[in-house]
Formats: sequence, structure tokens, C-alpha cells
Amino acid sequence: MQVWRINVRTQSFTQMPAPGSWEHLGGRGLLARIMVDEVPATCEPLGPNNKLVFAPGLLVGHMLSSCDRISVGGKSPLTGGFKEANAGGTTGMQLACLGIKALILEDQPETQDWNLIYLSREGLKFLPAADLLGLGVYETAQVLLKRFGDKVALALIGPAGEQRLSAAGIQNLDKDRVPSRIAARGGLGAVMGSKGIKAIIIDATGTEKPPIVDREAFRQAQKMFTKALMDHPQTKVYSDYGTAAMARMANGFGALPTRNFTSGQFDGVEKISGEYMRQVILERGGEGEPTHACMPGCTIRCSNTFADKTGASLVSPLEYETIGLMGSNLGIDSLDTIARVNWEVNDQGLDSIEVGAALGVAVEAGLMEFGDGNRALDLITEIRKNSPLGRIIGSGATTTGKVFGVLRVPAVKGQAMSAYEPRAIKGTGVTFATSPQGADHTSGLTIRAKVNHLDPQGQADLSRTVQINMAGYDTLGACIFAGFGFAAAPEAIRDLLNARYGWSVGTDILQVLGKESLKLEREFNRMAGFTKADDRLPEYMTREPLPPFGPVFDVPDEDLDGVFNW
Amino acid sequence: VIVFIHLHTTLQKETPEGLVRNLSIEIDDGARLIDLVDILGIEADEAHTLFVVQGQIADLDHRLAEGDVVHFIPAISGGNFSAEPKKYTL
Repeated sequence: MQVWRINVRTQSFTQMPAPGSWEHLGGRGLLARIMVDEVPATCEPLGPNNKLVFAPGLLVGHMLSSCDRISVGGKSPLTGGFKEANAGGTTGMQLACLGIKALILEDQPETQDWNLIYLSREGLKFLPAADLLGLGVYETAQVLLKRFGDKVALALIGPAGEQRLSAAGIQNLDKDRVPSRIAARGGLGAVMGSKGIKAIIIDATGTEKPPIVDREAFRQAQKMFTKALMDHPQTKVYSDYGTAAMARMANGFGALPTRNFTSGQFDGVEKISGEYMRQVILERGGEGEPTHACMPGCTIRCSNTFADKTGASLVSPLEYETIGLMGSNLGIDSLDTIARVNWEVNDQGLDSIEVGAALGVAVEAGLMEFGDGNRALDLITEIRKNSPLGRIIGSGATTTGKVFGVLRVPAVKGQAMSAYEPRAIKGTGVTFATSPQGADHTSGLTIRAKVNHLDPQGQADLSRTVQINMAGYDTLGACIFAGFGFAAAPEAIRDLLNARYGWSVGTDILQVLGKESLKLEREFNRMAGFTKADDRLPEYMTREPLPPFGPVFDVPDEDLDGVFNW
Repeated sequence: VIVFIHLHTTLQKETPEGLVRNLSIEIDDGARLIDLVDILGIEADEAHTLFVVQGQIADLDHRLAEGDVVHFIPAISGGNFSAEPKKYTL
């Protein structure tokens, strides 16, 4: 596996073996290592010294169920700190088949010309992208698939990334070539835009899967993992109901973000629930699918396609975080409306969490009323127009709050919270506060733990454990849901890595990798100027009780400061 | 005593009128959560189900009160979670 390094100014390219200290890392952990080694932490996120890095996880390339994720990283224009965002789809698999351990985009073009980067067995070439400028993600993907054939993988940005908006992400094709798998968070689409790259085309034609040192041992470990995953009862729930099953659960705990995080329960929850969504999808038929895989080989298939009353697809997938931030958080109780808004932000290449949170703040600013889906769509159209108002909302919740003088901004380190109210699920609140990534559900959720979520005691310990594990999974390229299988068969991770690479790691390898990644991420943030003052929730959440059960966030500061003392 | 019940995902009840996931029922004063499981006739044990009463996780011997909102959330633990944070794996 090699490091492919591309200078977007000189359009030059080198292929080198990975340095020794990078070899045992992949995905998120490798991104953190590269950022610490190569990127000045004080650099401008949209300037020539920032880098945009794509790194498949350590287990990517073998169609292990839910283990082919691509990690994308750089210095975040949203948080000013280390950022890793990962996505399913086919990008990770095809990069791994080309033997790429890390793809590093460096520098900045001197001209205003936009380019495509085409990667194949023969190396790479730059191609003009002028004809694609301003096009939405869905149309861009269609044009590129027509031009390069439908076997390629794509990583592309929409108009939001071109306009360098901090809520812009990078989209990837799912197994059905829909460009909906977004490395959404932290504004990495803006970093790609700052490099003048509209899309990367990955063509693994003529390649084979990455080498495996001990094929038989790998096969045995894969069997053990797949069985553990299939036997896990949660797998069935996610197949049938997807992540949207979380809506009623979060509501039950009083933790469903509602009306800009001013309540933890939403009176319209039933109409945005996973249970209702499944019924609607099945009743409407047509292109709708309650169960859909984003990656080839996935056995969980938590994704879906949501269709309108005529059976025509509105969006795929419709996920819990979007339902929370663009549904209950905006007082919207219609899945059809949420799906339309979701499609629009996808097409612009925007993070639905960040934009949903920004719209919640916009309501407090008097720019719309809760429940007004048409106005929400109008405001998102402003982003496409690149109007000043659109640019404010497309820069995220924190910027929107600052511009309009709104106190209640649900964000940490400048990044909006995902759909878990931290006052009601305090362990997740600790994760939101302390994660080097800013508030992010993928950094470590605690809602499934059998603990009293309202008790401030013990939440830091709980958050530490899940943050370490999640950083480990992100380094493997494993989806959070692969964790159901790995939790039931923890030796599978050890055996898979040892068989794949000829290593002799122990059963604690997940935690070893997770800790290394977190340590490097915090080191980058420290050098960028972060202090413990950045590891705090918004102050109003420590003061304003959350209806209906009335908790405030009261985990002591000492506990927050001790999360990374292991 | 009347309590309000929310059945999640795979615990929804199939009835001739369709799937039922929200209902209210009258139970005896002093009834516990385990009595409710019996009355509803659902398969729900502590290893495979999360019981949430008034926004908090509850045990099966939890005594129910008038107006309690009770959630039955299946298959969340799968036996892999514990009240001990250190053993919590995902």
C-alpha cells in the first residue's frame, strides 16, 4: 500500500511507500498522524498549507460487512481543528484496490481553473472541470459516470464546496451509484473547493483486492465476525427500520432535539419515526425501499430509499440525524418535507446536520417559523444562490448565531450538535464537549448504555470508553454498526488484522488504535491553539432546564478535563 | 392506574386493524413493570430490552404510577451492555 501525493498547483504526482510510523494506521488514525506530521496546525484551513487527505481504513477492500469506509481529513474550516469525516459507499474499496493507503492533496492552484483528478492503475491525470461548475451533486455524478463508465467510484463536491462554505461535505457513490454517501462534517467540501478540485474519479479497473498474508486465517475470522453480526438482534432492527428507529427512542428519553434544542420531546414524533417511515415506504411501493445497503457486502443494510406518494424516489437515504435536525428541531413533522429538504442539501453538497441546526438558529433570529417547510426550502435555496443570507446559513449554526445575535446555538468548537440533546443524555454531552472533532454523534454515543442518563456521575468514564472505541472503528474503516458484531466477537478484529498484515496484535488493538488516534488529534488541536475552554458545552445548556424532564448539563468541569486521562 | 405504552420497532403488535405501537391501559394499583410485560404478552426480558419509564431506564420490578409513560425498546443491549461503563463496548 502506497501514499499518493498530488500537488494541485504544479499538477505533479508521486507514489511512495508509507513511512514506518504510518504503516500500522489507516482511516482516522492515519489522518491524525499525517496532520500532525505534515500540516502546520496554525495554517489557514482554506489556504495552501492545509492538506486534504483520503485514507481507507485498515480493513477496507475485502467486502467485510460494513467495513469499507473511507475517511477524509484535513484542518476544518468550521472548527479550526483536526477533522475526520467518513462515509460508506465505494470510494474506500476502490482506493484500496489501487493500493492507496493515503491520497494527499497539497497546495493550491494559482489560477481560477477547476479540475477533475482521475486515478487509475496507470497513475493519475488532471482534466478540466469547467463544464461542471455550479452543477448539483446528482447531475455531476451522472455526467461523470457517463464520461468515465459506471464502474468508477467518485468523491465530489457540490456548489457549496465550490463556494467554500463551512457546511460543505464530500459525497461518494453508494453501491447503486447514487452520490449520497457524504463525508459531511466540518467543511471538508470547502477544503476540496479551495484546492480547485470538483471531483476525484477512482477507476480500479484491472486491479485486485489488497493482498492478504494469511488467507485461511482471514476467512475464518471473517466467518466469525459475520456470524456474530448476523446473530445480533440489533442487526434486524437496523435492517428493517434504519437509523430512524432512534427518533422514538430519543423522544422516550426526552432527548430528541426539538425546536432549536428547547425541548427534548416532539409532539409530532410519531410521524417522523422509523416505524412510521417503514409503513409509509412499504405502502407507497415504487422506488421506495425500507432496507438498502450503502456498501457492497453489507449485511446490516441500514439505509433506505424514501419515495413520494407516486412511488418516485425523493431521497436516499433518509437518516435519523437529518430527521432530528431538519424535522423535530425545526418543528416539521412531515417525512415528505424532510425528504425534499434533504435532497436539496445533498444536491448542493451540504451537511444536513449543520444546515438543520443553522435553520433552527435562524428561527430564533426571526427568519422563519417552526414547522414552515416551504420557508426552510427557500432559505436553503438562498445558499444555492450564494446570497449573503445563504452564505451565512451555509457557514453553519455558529456563524448564523453570531450574525443574528442568537444566544442558543447548539454547537461545540463551532460544529453543530447532532440529534441527541446533551442535557438528557449526559454521556453523549461529554462526548460532544470533549471530542477533538467538535460536537459529533459519530465520536461516541452513550444512549444505548444501561445507565441513568440524567446522573452526571460516571458519564465521563462512559464517554471515554466509547470515544476510544469509535476512534478505533474509524481507524479500521468499520461502520458504527459493525461494532455489534465486533462487540460480540472482539477477537475477530485481532484475527483479521493479523491475517491481513501478518501482524501479531492482541485483543486490545481496537483500544490501542483508538487511543493513538485521539492523542494525535488532541495534539494537533493543542498546536492549533485549543484549550480546555474549548471542551465545554454552550453555557445556556448548563443553566436552562430542558422540558419535559427538566435536566441541565451538570457534569463537572473536572470530569470533562479528565476524559482523556487513561 | 392508567399508563401509556410505547412499543418500539420489533415489539409493535400486529392486530387485525394493523400495527399498534402506542396504547394506554389500566393496571392494578401497585403493579410493576413485569406485570405490564405479562399483560401485554410481549417478549421482553432485561437482557434484550430497554425499559424506559418517565424518561429513565427502569428495572422490571419498577412500581408504576398513574400517568407513567413506558417505552419498551427491543434488542438494544443484545447482552453486550452493562451498567458498568468500563464493560460498555459500543
